[in-house]
Amino acid sequence: MPSLYRLHRAALCAAVFGIAAISTASAEEIIIGAATAQTGGLAPYDQPALAGLRMSLDELNAKGGLAGKYTVKLLIKDTRSDTAQTATVAQELIDAGAKIMITPCDADPSISAGQLTQPLGIPTLTLCGSAPVLTGAVGDVMFGTYPADNVQATAVADFAVSEGKKKVFLLTSPDSTYTANLPEYFGKVFETKGGAIVGRGTFSMGQPDFSAEITNIKGLADKPDLIMTAAYEPDFPAFIQQLRGAGVTIPVYGADAIGTPTIKALGKLVDGVVYTAAGYAEPGSKLEAFNAAFTKYAGHAPESTYEVNGYEIGLILDQAVKTAGSDNPKAIRDAIAGLKDFEGITGKITYAGTDRMPLRPVALMRYEGGEGKHVQTLIPDAADVPAP
Amino acid sequence: MIAQQIINAVSLGGVYALLALGLAIVFSIVGLINFAHGELMTLSGYALLASLVLGFPFPVAVLVAVSCGALAAVAMERVAFRPMRGASVTSLLLTSFAVSSLLKVVFQNGISARPQAVAMPSWMTGAFSFGDFTIGVGPSISIVVSALALIALEVFLRRSVTGTAMRAAAEDFDVVRLMGIPASRIIATAFLLSGLLAGLAAMLWVAQRASVDPLMGFTPVLKAFIAAVVGGLGSLPGAVAGGFLLGIIEVLLQATLPGAIAPYRDAIVLSGVIAVLLVRPQGLIPAVRAQRS
Repeated sequence: MPSLYRLHRAALCAAVFGIAAISTASAEEIIIGAATAQTGGLAPYDQPALAGLRMSLDELNAKGGLAGKYTVKLLIKDTRSDTAQTATVAQELIDAGAKIMITPCDADPSISAGQLTQPLGIPTLTLCGSAPVLTGAVGDVMFGTYPADNVQATAVADFAVSEGKKKVFLLTSPDSTYTANLPEYFGKVFETKGGAIVGRGTFSMGQPDFSAEITNIKGLADKPDLIMTAAYEPDFPAFIQQLRGAGVTIPVYGADAIGTPTIKALGKLVDGVVYTAAGYAEPGSKLEAFNAAFTKYAGHAPESTYEVNGYEIGLILDQAVKTAGSDNPKAIRDAIAGLKDFEGITGKITYAGTDRMPLRPVALMRYEGGEGKHVQTLIPDAADVPAP
Repeated sequence: MIAQQIINAVSLGGVYALLALGLAIVFSIVGLINFAHGELMTLSGYALLASLVLGFPFPVAVLVAVSCGALAAVAMERVAFRPMRGASVTSLLLTSFAVSSLLKVVFQNGISARPQAVAMPSWMTGAFSFGDFTIGVGPSISIVVSALALIALEVFLRRSVTGTAMRAAAEDFDVVRLMGIPASRIIATAFLLSGLLAGLAAMLWVAQRASVDPLMGFTPVLKAFIAAVVGGLGSLPGAVAGGFLLGIIEVLLQATLPGAIAPYRDAIVLSGVIAVLLVRPQGLIPAVRAQRS
């Protein structure tokens, strides 16, 4: 709205004084394209993250835009959680003049959008895609924003080892990078630190029935004391419901994708389940203040830490444009890649020296009595993190 | 172990049988594969959730949910399929896809794109032990409900006038109409039954999955379609046989395939389906009459 108003005023000026004042009015606008899922399986992840991003961009625009200078015009298009559709809308956004691209919370669609932005040098940030192979698969314009899968898995494995867990069963699905690799990263760290993998099982995403897999787990000669999986909705509720229904009480650990209201609402069923988050709102923390501000902004409390992660993307872009001193995509990309110890809401965020998957803290959480309880927050030792 | 896997297979097969039967009943009468059948399940799931949130006792909530499925099926016929009566198979098929997509979007935008947790009563996640192996309460209920539903349907089709008329209509609709039985009543009853079956299947499905989401109808309707085709499209005993066969193959493969091949499970199942159709192109138990167009 403000930019439209300014345009009117500029046109009026031009008419009255006969000078071409248009250029000063439109030059300071930067278009950010968001190819994100509003429908389909990724929507529950993309929507909260996008809400956080919108909030930060609204706040920045109120202060003049990115670096106080470039008013952001956020163009949002629905990918319908479809990889091919993501490429289509990404192209539309590029054609509309996007200088920065935001992509969905998953590796595959993000890579398909990245194939289009890479040759043009448009910096591309995934909302909460966390597969560490994601940035390498595209190239130097692609950035992750959420703690990477191998980092999360290392944090969970460190915790499991510290609890004295010795034997793990890994449940994976080849259907997505996240569900296929995260438990395997866990397995690598767990084995290095003295644990053993006693079994592996697979599932197809959307599969109705886990009974055969569960019977296999029950029949293992070497009983696991932990099941690690990256299954999420709706597979995770189905798995744990059927697991507990079959009388198996082995603890189940997962990662960020089960830190959602749906899983929390399962109540007693998920007691003891450990998961990760991008941060934990301790009293007096910046995150607590953010949560309050978000509640005011959106009319409801944040569902997870995807909101704050989206918000931080806005802050990262603001900082990058400040450093770059222009709205040149190449300069913005370089500035993001050079970020070191940037003070976000959840802690320090560093891109410098990484494969464009940020180094940032991981919060470990555990469900107890229908609530997510904070266990600890840590940045795993980089030497422990397995290679993608 | 083996006994346990057999129970798993029968339990899953029972749910598939209910679903396939729902598709087959409608197909046998009007020649329509109703791809919106899955959305009837989704609707029943949400009705269950809503009833539980409103504080209804569990049995009442289940009753409400199943009735919602049945009524929705009748309404669906009235609104979407009756105006298309007599249209070609392709038009009917496209109509059912349209209804399905429309309902999915309504669920996503009207309720939530996020799955909603359904808190099943704690006794349903229990299990009882017989010596060496344990049977979960969930799978037991699945088996019992599927069996009862199949028997009840059989009794209805054999013993009641409407049931007899429906069986006759499946063979030759025109003759049934000449006997003075209104077509609309037969068709509405077919949809009502298919909705009831969808509702029941939804309850068993949700009990195993502990959540409902806008897209949850897709997988079951696909499985039901495969089961119905393998069994013989339009044949009710065929649908039941196809459902059990599909469930048993899926569980056996999941239980026995070594880790490296396990991801190809669905491909192997579908290859099996092709093999069955090569040997018996009309399905396991073909319909009495070749399908009209």
